[in-house]
Amino acid sequence: MWAKLAPNRLIISLAIILILVVAAGAAFVWSGLYNVAASRDHFWVTTWILEKVREQSVETHSTFIETPPLDDPDLVRLGAAHYEGGCVPCHSRPGEPINAIVSQMLPSPPHLADVTAGEPPEELHWIVKHGLKYTGMPAWPAPIRDDEVWALTAFLMELAGGEMDNYRQLAGLDRVPPGALAGTEPTHRTEAVALTQCIRCHDDAAVSTISSLVPKLGGQSIGYLERALKEYTARVRPSGIMQPVATHLDDREIAKIANYYANLDAQPGQRGIDPARIARGQALATEGDPQNAIPRCLACHSHSRAAEFPALAGQHSDYLAGQLRVWQSGGRDRTAYGQIMAPIARRLTEEQVLDVASYFASLPPEAYRNESASALPDSK
Amino acid sequence: MRDRSFQAFAALPVLLIVAGCVDVQSALNPAGGEAERIHTLSWILIIFCSVVFLGVAIATIIALFGSHRWRQRLAGERLVIGAGLIFPAAALSALLGYSVVIMGIAGSAEGEDGLRISVVGERWWWRVIYIARDGRRIESANELRVPTGQPVRLELTSADVIHSFWVPKLAGKLDMIPGRTNTLTLSVSEPGISRGQCAEYCGGAHALMSFFVIAMPPADFETWLARESEPAAVPVDEAEIQGHALFVQSGCGACHTVRGTDASGTIAPDLTHVGNRHSLAAATLPNNAEAFASWIRDNQHIKPENLMPPYEIYTERELGQLATYLESLR
Repeated sequence: MWAKLAPNRLIISLAIILILVVAAGAAFVWSGLYNVAASRDHFWVTTWILEKVREQSVETHSTFIETPPLDDPDLVRLGAAHYEGGCVPCHSRPGEPINAIVSQMLPSPPHLADVTAGEPPEELHWIVKHGLKYTGMPAWPAPIRDDEVWALTAFLMELAGGEMDNYRQLAGLDRVPPGALAGTEPTHRTEAVALTQCIRCHDDAAVSTISSLVPKLGGQSIGYLERALKEYTARVRPSGIMQPVATHLDDREIAKIANYYANLDAQPGQRGIDPARIARGQALATEGDPQNAIPRCLACHSHSRAAEFPALAGQHSDYLAGQLRVWQSGGRDRTAYGQIMAPIARRLTEEQVLDVASYFASLPPEAYRNESASALPDSK
Repeated sequence: MRDRSFQAFAALPVLLIVAGCVDVQSALNPAGGEAERIHTLSWILIIFCSVVFLGVAIATIIALFGSHRWRQRLAGERLVIGAGLIFPAAALSALLGYSVVIMGIAGSAEGEDGLRISVVGERWWWRVIYIARDGRRIESANELRVPTGQPVRLELTSADVIHSFWVPKLAGKLDMIPGRTNTLTLSVSEPGISRGQCAEYCGGAHALMSFFVIAMPPADFETWLARESEPAAVPVDEAEIQGHALFVQSGCGACHTVRGTDASGTIAPDLTHVGNRHSLAAATLPNNAEAFASWIRDNQHIKPENLMPPYEIYTERELGQLATYLESLR
């Protein structure tokens, strides 16, 4: 029948059908008849399409991601500690029921142990980093910090591995004194510390940090601690882990926290580091590598330094090396202080990064911490 | 001077283009032995070529429009052999011989026992080391001071990539090659200032890798060199003292040397007497307190890709103090 119609009549018929379809669609949208209530599930076909699109999209987009080694316990603990602060509100702790309010979202956030089993790590990494549209799953606040996303991925892989009976220990919940969780009682003499639960991850008088990827803060200079927290608050020092925590702090609380940690005794340095690495690191720290335009570290990171420059002695080598790599990948270029370190960090080879991190980790914390006023040139 | 009006006429188009640097950076305005020889040779070649061109043009006109008799003369074997073979061979050989003789003087041994200056090309500045007759090495940067009336031997090398040392007013250009020392002898007749420029593309900030050569009467030069070899001035007033404290606390000494203080870095220019120099940042900025301040804070905008990190950490007051201190290093 269609074949008998003249071509121009065919075109006119198609155009009329198209106009009718568009008009019907517009009428439907403007009528408000479609029900957007989260209390009512999608049609089964809508659900099927949404899930299929999501699965295929994640698989395709994570194709070229390369997974670093994830079986490092320090990586898992850092991921777990962040999970407690960042993910638990929706996904709940392993073994505990989903929050009654959150469970009424559509789709409702799943227990991650159920959905991560069998998932490849690169797909988990991609979801954690980018979030998922139309699900309420947010993207990582600092997309440049792949290292942090991998920490959480490492924890999720652990979670996918089966029954997790040591969650409270992994996430540092057992490090917080009773009563501090509610934020009602000041622990460690300052309420701000209780508020943000710094102790869950960072060091305290009795314990070191929860992971070698978390910096020790005891004995650090006030100037540096305040600066770091303010940079997180202003979102110029990207970190999906620290930015959400620091956002809650006002200047008064920042000053209190800085003061608390500056007066805290430092945890001892690291032992058992390869002496050859330490020796090479020491040469770099004390003399630099002028051939490659690398100045000596101790010019800024020693007793004569400005208070805003951090002390590095006794710090974890994993943390130091990790931060140098963040600099190399452009993750710390946005602050005035970060811009000083950035070109220098980029000149370091991976071996030099490990050497110099090992050297500072091997030092006793009190090394180079004498903040005497700078000496003037002797008037010979 | 005598042929200045002719030069101005002949080189008018070129002069219009390079008018900006005719005073301090022009090969047409030579102030040193080698540059003067190059200058003479250039004019001889230009005049010679002009005469030949004129001759050829006249011959062409004759060939096209001349009378039969003239055209026959032009086609004669004598002219072809004389002007086509003998004249070019003889003239070019003579010019070659002349240029070898005149330029060969530069490579002679003059200046062996006089002042030597080692100039090392760095990305993107010049390390300058005066080697006195007694062997003392006095380091400076981005500026050469030379005594007038005597040959000064420059030993040119590079610390990283290939650079090229060129002060058009004083001499031809000479490459600075890593692992090799090229020697250039400067002899400047009159006191004055000349500008030089790296003449071999060496990366990001190549265009801003310049310097000044300041020629001084020998007595003044000796006085200057004696002062240059002294340690840095001790900060006196409050701003200078504060500026020096900031200099130490900020770790500037990791890269820069200020002799007489703990600052002993070798990565970046020596600042012992930086306040005395004609320019900052390898002839990128004038030398004054304002320039010091903007360089410290904005150096990556002023000279993109240079190896110094930008220091945006200071307040205006602190920048002023640092600038005051650096300016006091005279």
